[in-house]
Amino acid sequence: MQMNTLCRRSVLGMLLSVTAMPLAAQDRPVVATDNYPLAYFADRLGGGAVDTVFLVPAGTDPSFWRPGIADISEIQSADVIALNGAGFSTWPTKASLPRSRTIDTSAGFGDRLIRTDTVTHSHGEGGEHSHAATASYTWLDFALAQEQVKVLADAMARQMPDNAASIARERDVLLADLDALDTRAMVLSDQPGAGPVIASHPRYHYFAAAYDLEITALEWDATEDPTDAQWATLETMIADTGARHFIWEAEPSAAAQRRMSALGLTDVVFSPLANTPSEGSFIDRMRGALDALESAFQEN
Amino acid sequence: MRRIFATLAVVAFATAAQAHQLNVFAFVEDSTVVVETKFSNGNLPVSGDVRVLNAQSDLLMTLPLGTDGTLRFPLDRKVAAEGMTIEVTTGEGHEDYWILTPEDIARGSGS
Repeated sequence: MQMNTLCRRSVLGMLLSVTAMPLAAQDRPVVATDNYPLAYFADRLGGGAVDTVFLVPAGTDPSFWRPGIADISEIQSADVIALNGAGFSTWPTKASLPRSRTIDTSAGFGDRLIRTDTVTHSHGEGGEHSHAATASYTWLDFALAQEQVKVLADAMARQMPDNAASIARERDVLLADLDALDTRAMVLSDQPGAGPVIASHPRYHYFAAAYDLEITALEWDATEDPTDAQWATLETMIADTGARHFIWEAEPSAAAQRRMSALGLTDVVFSPLANTPSEGSFIDRMRGALDALESAFQEN
Repeated sequence: MRRIFATLAVVAFATAAQAHQLNVFAFVEDSTVVVETKFSNGNLPVSGDVRVLNAQSDLLMTLPLGTDGTLRFPLDRKVAAEGMTIEVTTGEGHEDYWILTPEDIARGSGS
């Protein structure tokens, strides 16, 4: 009888401990984001005590990601849903998100958002018309990135009051890291070889604006070698701008790099990191990009 | 130091936009799925197709959009448990979608 009771108690204890584990895991605060920079910031601010949910698969542009129903369910249940804003992603407007837990991290600097060329097209009976566009890679201005971190930190502290003190501490360290990037980027345009730059894709509006760089962009696909027509367009652009430097959004093929070199351009890879990098962190990769640009600007 | 910013902003604001992107919204009310559509300029689509997809993205049905830009159809309880995606294509060629999670549906259907 005693043995049976003990067994029952043991089994009950095991069951309780097993069921307690997922509960404990679920009890950790969760921050869901729509791009990698915000996921990185949330992870840093959480200091290991917060789970970050960034569901966009590797190789997918987060701006064009279409979530599944389960993805939205997971995002809806997060304690904080941090969005980049500035029109970065469209999916948040296509599902119900809890207003009290959803933040637009760029809403506070709406007057500093950069409007871009509009997209003009025609269909139906309405004739040709345009859609306005806003440059959305705000975090490439590291001062704006700091503003986004402050908004995120405030929201996390509000939703996770038990972690507020540590979030404030981590925020200050992260802001210092971003400030260091901002300071370094500020002197890029002072380098002796600094001048007009051509980029493979229009991702660098905020970077150019913040750091006094003249960056003209092509519309090359990051995953494919440029076509002959695209190379011809580049040659025209070089003639028009006098550019001697080129920014690749992603690592190019060796053949493309050789052809770029033959055109007399010094090229660097500068991933804007909208999605999670295969290696390195946001800060490390941005430092690397600034190193490469500084080196390129010193060569010419 | 920030002169490029000003240049970019001026260029962009010089072009007036006549945006009319399609916006789709769907919700559940009294066991009925209600789909509402509107262009961002306030106009209503006068025709279009509404596709209903399950959680596996299988097409469950295609229904015509009403002339008032809305559609109502009965909630399938089996589909409700997994959620559904509502895709709309208007006669003018605009597309948009709305995702209804099981939680959204439960809230709306009172279950």
